[in-house]
Amino acid sequence: MDLKSLKKQESKRKISKGYMWALFCAVFWGIWYLPGTVVWVLNPFDEMYSAIAETGGDGTALIITAVLITAFNALTVMLALMLWNGVLGKYKELGRTLKEFHPCSKWFFLASIFGGPMAILGSFIAMGFIGGAFAAVAALLYPVVGSILAYYWYGEKISKRAAIGIGVIIVGGITIFGGGLLTELSSGNVQWIGYLGGLMAAAGWGIEGAIAGKGLDISEPDVGLTLRFLGENIIWWIIVVPVLALLGYPMYSFALQAFEPMTMLVLIFAGITFGFCYVCWYKSFPLIGVGRGQGIGNLYGLFAIIFIFLFFGDVPEWSIIVGGTLCVIGSFVMFTEDTSALETLRGE
Amino acid sequence: MSGNRPIKFRILEILLDGKERWNYEIVSKIQEEYDMQGNYNRDSINFDIIELASGGMLKDVEQKVDEDGIYKKSFLLHKYVITDFGKARGSDACLRYV
Repeated sequence: MDLKSLKKQESKRKISKGYMWALFCAVFWGIWYLPGTVVWVLNPFDEMYSAIAETGGDGTALIITAVLITAFNALTVMLALMLWNGVLGKYKELGRTLKEFHPCSKWFFLASIFGGPMAILGSFIAMGFIGGAFAAVAALLYPVVGSILAYYWYGEKISKRAAIGIGVIIVGGITIFGGGLLTELSSGNVQWIGYLGGLMAAAGWGIEGAIAGKGLDISEPDVGLTLRFLGENIIWWIIVVPVLALLGYPMYSFALQAFEPMTMLVLIFAGITFGFCYVCWYKSFPLIGVGRGQGIGNLYGLFAIIFIFLFFGDVPEWSIIVGGTLCVIGSFVMFTEDTSALETLRGE
Repeated sequence: MSGNRPIKFRILEILLDGKERWNYEIVSKIQEEYDMQGNYNRDSINFDIIELASGGMLKDVEQKVDEDGIYKKSFLLHKYVITDFGKARGSDACLRYV
């Protein structure tokens, strides 16, 4: 075969593989909202919620319960990623990367602060207060946060096309948040904490992406992601959970009760889907470019709505469907720029 | 010093001199230094190079068909050179300790 047709074949193979990874990411990410929503009504989390609500009020109870759920989510994601790295034979590389704290792994630990206590906790709060479909679609705003940060932080240019995409996503965001708020304002019962959770998810993932990218540039993504979740586990199990326990919340007694078959099954399901959605996301980038990878990855919002409809029979509000569609369209507009132009932008 | 830094650090370090190198040259050097024999490791190291190139740190400057099977028979071979961005990231990560 000649050079030209081989080049064509190679790029075809790369592109189809890349789209496959990105699509897997969207499916896994979308499915994650199923266990994320179900876990709220399972023992011990429902009991924990009512036990704390009796003395501390609904808002506190929800946040404390969300902390424990997020902590377990981080733990099962870590297990899934350790298994994945074992299969790939990357434990040695994991050790080598962990040791490079200053140039590399510090970025993962920093990213985990925004990814964990902000984005994932916010997502669980939004799922608990408002619902899975809202939580999924609200987080679609993350690219806006990410690109604005990159603009101020490393002076990355925002092209006209990207600006149009950001505009469409913001209109989508206003629809998602505004639609739900209007209905609730008229009924006089606004779940402010849930909406705050949605914003935390969007802002947290935007910031996480901007920071983690600095470390992921120069490390293997399978390894980098594992370190990012190592950071999150440290935050929850060594810092936050013990502090809350010292403050008198029954963290450990309920945490021990989580080792029930059904609860564990749902938590492990959450860990596998979430862990692999991250892995697939990063695998797609070198093959089809970060832009298209993120654009297709963002289809998760629509997948989440479809899965939630199929499994729970919940038909989401029109504002969530319209707003979610706008966000996905916006991310396609924003991300599907000519990649060759993007590469040179970054190289200089 | 070799063999105990993350693989992508080492790849950047090898290319920091600004010379163009074929992917099979880099891959076999890493395989030897890190004691990572076998096709699976070979492909995984090559994917690291592809990732560095897509991150804008390396540039794919030349391709040729692997007629003789030096790397993978009748597949494409790629020649890479480090970019300015790659030099900045590479020296940031690698040179501080050298």
